[in-house]
Amino acid sequence: MKLIKSIVRPNKVDDVKNALEKLHISGMTVTEVRGHGKQKGHTAIYRGQEYNVSLLPKMEIEIVVPDSMVEDAIKAIIEAARTGEIGDGRVFVLPVDETYKIRTGEKDVF
Amino acid sequence: MNEPQSVSAEPRSGAVLSPKRRLAEARTELSLATERGEGGSQALKQYSYRMDAMVEQLFNEAPRASQSVGVWALGGYGRRELCLHSDIDLLVVFAGEIGPADERFLQGFLNPLWDLGLTVGHHIREVGESVGLDGDNAEFLLALVDARPIAGDASGLERFLENTDAVATATHTLEQLRALITERHARFNGTLFQLEPDVKEAPGGLRDLFGAMTIAKLTDPALLKQGGAGARALADAEDFLLRVRSTLHLQLGRQHNILGHELQERVAESLRYPGTTPRQRVERLMSDYFRHARAIDRSLRWALRAAPVPVGNNLVRGSDGVKFVDVRRAADRPDTWLAAFQAAIDCGCAVSDETLTWLEQHAERFDPMDFFQQPWHRDDLLRFLRPRPGLYERLSEMHDIGLLGQMFPEFRAINCRVVRDFYHKYTVDEHTLLAIRNLEQLTTPVPERRRLSGLLSELAQPELLVLALLFHDVGKWRDDDHVSESSRMAKRMFDTLGLDPEARATIEFLVEQHLSMSHVAFRRDTEDPEIVRHFAALVGDEERLKMLCLMTLADVEAVGRDTLTPWKEELLWGLYVDAYNHLTHAYGDEVIHRNETALAAVIDGRPADLDASDIEAFLEGLPRRYLQLFSRDAVYRHIRHARDLRPGAIEAWIERQGVGWELTVLTRDQPFLFSNISGVLSSFGADILRGYAFTKSDGLVVDMFHFIDQERFLELNESGDGQLLSVLENVVSGRVDLAERLRRREEGAFRQRMPGTPPVVRCDNESSRRYTIVEIFADNEIGLLYRMSRAMSESGCDVDLVLIATEGRRAIDVFHLTRNGTKLSPPQHSELIANLQGVLEGRP
Repeated sequence: MKLIKSIVRPNKVDDVKNALEKLHISGMTVTEVRGHGKQKGHTAIYRGQEYNVSLLPKMEIEIVVPDSMVEDAIKAIIEAARTGEIGDGRVFVLPVDETYKIRTGEKDVF
Repeated sequence: MNEPQSVSAEPRSGAVLSPKRRLAEARTELSLATERGEGGSQALKQYSYRMDAMVEQLFNEAPRASQSVGVWALGGYGRRELCLHSDIDLLVVFAGEIGPADERFLQGFLNPLWDLGLTVGHHIREVGESVGLDGDNAEFLLALVDARPIAGDASGLERFLENTDAVATATHTLEQLRALITERHARFNGTLFQLEPDVKEAPGGLRDLFGAMTIAKLTDPALLKQGGAGARALADAEDFLLRVRSTLHLQLGRQHNILGHELQERVAESLRYPGTTPRQRVERLMSDYFRHARAIDRSLRWALRAAPVPVGNNLVRGSDGVKFVDVRRAADRPDTWLAAFQAAIDCGCAVSDETLTWLEQHAERFDPMDFFQQPWHRDDLLRFLRPRPGLYERLSEMHDIGLLGQMFPEFRAINCRVVRDFYHKYTVDEHTLLAIRNLEQLTTPVPERRRLSGLLSELAQPELLVLALLFHDVGKWRDDDHVSESSRMAKRMFDTLGLDPEARATIEFLVEQHLSMSHVAFRRDTEDPEIVRHFAALVGDEERLKMLCLMTLADVEAVGRDTLTPWKEELLWGLYVDAYNHLTHAYGDEVIHRNETALAAVIDGRPADLDASDIEAFLEGLPRRYLQLFSRDAVYRHIRHARDLRPGAIEAWIERQGVGWELTVLTRDQPFLFSNISGVLSSFGADILRGYAFTKSDGLVVDMFHFIDQERFLELNESGDGQLLSVLENVVSGRVDLAERLRRREEGAFRQRMPGTPPVVRCDNESSRRYTIVEIFADNEIGLLYRMSRAMSESGCDVDLVLIATEGRRAIDVFHLTRNGTKLSPPQHSELIANLQGVLEGRP
């Protein structure tokens, strides 16, 4: 069982969601985040004043999938979120030991 | 003003009495009543009615005036408290300028009054006199409070007063009254307990009573019932003092108001005071006098202390908020109601509960058109809607009592409307009002919102944004496409208000596109230049972009408390900056081509005198932005002038636009043309606020400058526009040396230069395919545009396109330049920037 954490462009969230739904992955957490990768933001100019936009708006999508689906899920996310330009984002994969349903206290079995 | 009542004073035979006989009979009647000890309020009222009849007769018998004229009773006569030997104060109001026939009328009317031995105080006024009443003397202002029409045109005074500033006049009248009371009391050592009192002037006398009544009349008619000695005690005091005064006038046969020791016995006897000795009768009379004087004094002090403050025509601010002085006067004038809410915003308080309840009871009687009968009512509404603290609260009050819904039935359609969509947290009407509150909050900037507050402060007409917000969701009364329905409903409001075409287009755009910016910012890849280009094309110009950005922000923030996250705000701002830069830098590359839709639309709607070929020839090659900046009518007008343009000639005209003026110029390009035009405007003291300059590849130039006529040259000179255009022609043709014209003015400007923000000059060769872009950000001053553009021409540059904007004290000018038909090289950049910096720093 893995937690897949993807940082993507804000406008790519719907595409990623659709791609994951095709894999029957519908549970996810989407969060507005700000940050930067290698590009370290960029310089914007407004009325002659330059200012550095260091933390760029991105979306974070978290899903938890069985080990058997990790590869497909990562592939779907990357294909949906890619533009080929700097700033397309990152995918992190983390191990998950156990998960529980809060309402029932029931332990999930994958 | 009270309506006149008339009494029949004619003999039963039907014969008309002479004025002399009328006066004599009136005096006899009052004298007899006074002798009976009954010369109080009732007798004086009757005497005043008889005097009215006599004045009306003299008015009718005077030679006819050449125009409408009315006569008004002022002061004590206006209150119908005319004593036997009181002065008669009259106001004569003419509809227009007084001519010889009117002077004959005045002589024929006033001379007989003097011949009758009356002491007449008269004031002559014309309705059109523009001098404010706040400059008038105190006595006249106070007398005017009790003005009452007697004869002739009864509407003249109202029209005369309409020309004055009601608040200033009422405030000034009250200030003058307070000063007069203080001064008068000082003459009596500040005490009412005078053993030989002046029943008119002394503290606690008639003047104090009328002072208290005047304060109440100007501020709150119920004031004297709410405190002081009370209305009943005042009425008794008034009647007593008038009976005493009438007796004094009768006893001495002249105007005399001092109740001296000797007269006290005669008055006590005349007023039938009981007592076996004169001393007993006098003691009882004077005891009554002091009791009444004390009541008046107490009420006057209460009135001075508790009177609300005048804040508008028929409006005052009391401890519970803004209210009408005379609700009966307001009842049939729904067009005046908005002023109560405007005054509340101006005063930073609420509209009083009592007034809100009253408005709620009366609002249903009226239709939208009743609130906006005249163009100035629309202007009042737009002024009211300017975002500032208090607007949300006042609009909410208006909505709560149903007034907003009566003014705009479209808004009533979303009253408490619930749309279950799981992200809106409030009803549709409250969401709308909260969106306006969000905008309002930007007027008191906090550091994290400074850039958005700046955008709001730069808007020329932020009230249109508020109006658009008010209507952006009215279509949600239906369950389907609310945007189209909101737009349709907004159009009905346009007709109610009689908005001008530009305002209609702006509001329509904002309502129809109010979801577009959030859609692009949150759901599209704004790093794709094509997405930004499309969005910028949709918006059209910077002003609309700013409005749409602020509307989106206010709208999203009003969905729920945490809906507008810093994350979303950053996305919106990023799109705004990209679109702004695209609009100001890249528009020169997007020109109108033959066969494109926008061109076809202009051709299809053309007037009969224009051929399709004229339109094609004119528009082809101009930036598309030209069509977004000018109305269709303006475009056709430009085409006509371009068609008629002779070689070497200039087609130019000046028109008033709002508080400013617009100069439009069509001509063929030549070196220094732009700097010459802007320089000529500066030489007449014009402050150029915004403008556009377009140069086509065939050399045709279309320039438009919007400016403020700071020295009122155009306003004060009937042929001022002709003179300016003549100088322009002479300068452009080289017959007049502009530098010489400007030298002295520029020297003055340099001397007066205030320390400000350092200027910024930025050169950009990347944003446009065809042009080098030079942006200048500097403190605005006379001649700045001239000097900058001249420096560019002197550096060998062609000024092809210009956007001129002024925001506060800051000039923001964007020039699109070429040199010999191409962009500038890096060394040419450096040279130009050095030259421009030198000009900005005032170096020769």
